[in-house]
Amino acid sequence: MAWYIIRRILQAVPVVLGATLLIYALVFLRPGDPIVALFGDKPVSEAVRAQIEAQYNFDKPFLVQWLLFLKGALTLDLGLSFSGQPVIDLIARAFPVTIKLAFMALVIESVLGIAAGFYAGIKRGKLFDSTMLVVSLLVIAVPIFVFGFLMQLVFGVKLAWAPVTVGGDASFTRLLIPAFVLGLVSFAYVLRLTRTSMIENLTADHVRTARAKGLTDGQVNRRHVLRNSLIPVVTYLGADLGTLMAGAIVTEGIFNVPGVGNLAWRAIQQGETPTIVSVVTVMVLIYVVMSLLVDLLYAWLDPRIRYA
Amino acid sequence: MPEIPTTAPLPGQDHFVAPLGETPLEATGTLDTSRPPESQWKEAWKNLRRNVLFWVSAIILGFVLVVVAFPGLFTDLNPLKADLSRSLEGPSSGHIAGFDKQGYDVFARTIYGARASVSVGVACTLVVTILGLISGALAGFYGGWVDTIVSRIADIFFAIPLLLGAIVGLSVLNNAWPDRGFGGGVVAVTFALAAFGWPQVTRIARSAVLEVKNLEFVDAARAIGASQARNLWRHVVPNALAPVIVIATVSLGIFIVAEATLSFLGIGLPYGVVSWGNDISAAQNQIRSGQRLGVLFWPASALAVTVLGFILLGDAVQDALDPKSRKKD
Repeated sequence: MAWYIIRRILQAVPVVLGATLLIYALVFLRPGDPIVALFGDKPVSEAVRAQIEAQYNFDKPFLVQWLLFLKGALTLDLGLSFSGQPVIDLIARAFPVTIKLAFMALVIESVLGIAAGFYAGIKRGKLFDSTMLVVSLLVIAVPIFVFGFLMQLVFGVKLAWAPVTVGGDASFTRLLIPAFVLGLVSFAYVLRLTRTSMIENLTADHVRTARAKGLTDGQVNRRHVLRNSLIPVVTYLGADLGTLMAGAIVTEGIFNVPGVGNLAWRAIQQGETPTIVSVVTVMVLIYVVMSLLVDLLYAWLDPRIRYA
Repeated sequence: MPEIPTTAPLPGQDHFVAPLGETPLEATGTLDTSRPPESQWKEAWKNLRRNVLFWVSAIILGFVLVVVAFPGLFTDLNPLKADLSRSLEGPSSGHIAGFDKQGYDVFARTIYGARASVSVGVACTLVVTILGLISGALAGFYGGWVDTIVSRIADIFFAIPLLLGAIVGLSVLNNAWPDRGFGGGVVAVTFALAAFGWPQVTRIARSAVLEVKNLEFVDAARAIGASQARNLWRHVVPNALAPVIVIATVSLGIFIVAEATLSFLGIGLPYGVVSWGNDISAAQNQIRSGQRLGVLFWPASALAVTVLGFILLGDAVQDALDPKSRKKD
């Protein structure tokens, strides 16, 4: 097991390096001079330009820039943003907000999705099941930003139960509606996955045995069917955290949440290389760690799976 | 009450064997073995035809395709003709959906917007499927260093979230190619989405090829002297296509939503292109103030119905092609 983990971590190294190089190359290829953009209408003097170029390593060849970034990243020095703040500070401020938002979305989608999928699976073909099928299809088909706007309109503007936008204070209650919106699409997938998995397990041999030995329907459904049905759901949820954090670009934009999505969006608009590459690197790291955790969790939940 | 059969071994047997009469094998009598078995595709088509959801999706998508091909059948109005004096006017005769902020006819724009969404969805799916199938087939079939290189490159692109990668890619393309119109816009969005979407297909194609490549008929083909390349493209790939087709159908809907999201963010299709994403984006202010929700309703519903059609088609195709996932009814 320890060897498996070590091997997986070693395999992840080229992936992380490659991803940073790829994003670095993309931003590097972007035409237009970020320094000119920085000064707007004002002319840039040669001396100032040279100083800024040196500060951001713009004067060096592409690969050297990338290697310097990596060297800095190892000591948690991610360079400066165009407004002169260390990128690591920006990330340290933005990531906790997005992680909070993504976790809230994860909890909301898993609780609602598993509960609804559980009942839909048991009552297959009944009214509840059909209703949930329609709801899940609608949620997947309607783009997330449309839901975001409608929730904002109903709860923020019309009913005034929640603030229209989150703004500087990203507290639990203020993040509730954005988290719900963010988790909606995954809720539909969790629901569908739980339901399919429940239906498969309802006819499994161990479930028939459990019924035969006289357990009540409730006991069988909860302890024997649901538990086994959760294995694919848990792996989905693990992989979903990274997707949620990336999807936060849209949700954070609509509700003005001061998280990573907002940070990345502004940095991309301005061609602010250090910030973009740093954010993407952290996202890739989260993805790599989560997929390792999911694989380990999988082996723990399902002892039939063994890693060598 | 039927007699309970004894399970004690009969004389001459070391364990109980059910008498033949108890296990009727009627099915064997009705099987027609004189002809070769039906191909996987015929079988799948038979399953598909019996699925109500397939017909629902076929009707939806058939209608969408007609709208894409002949928008003029549904409206005489020009989606690019703005009449500012009628800004945000409600529905009236000849204008069943009213006007948006700029004075465009909402219904005409919804009809003409289908073209952009469907083009991007179809183009992305085609590119991603071809790229993924070729790379996945090569990686799975040849193994060794080919597999290592393809799989690691795919891992790199897979680790970057689709939306984030596409946004970075499009921000580059937007600056490099500012006035790109409809065709260029579709190409740019397709390029950005496909660049980060192909590894999904590669992974699925690779594992499908791995499953097939050691089956007997592949060995047989090799034994009679088929070259490696012929073996791969004539024998292995056709038999590994099913899961790739399933993921391709599902991706269609996902790419259409992704295009709308990118256009909504303002970096997808150029501003002047009539598209559902652009129209929803333009309707933002109406939504926040809660007036004239129809401006949002029409493009959003058109988008949702189209995506719904593709999701249903994906579900139906998966049921028909992937027997493991088939629901036991």
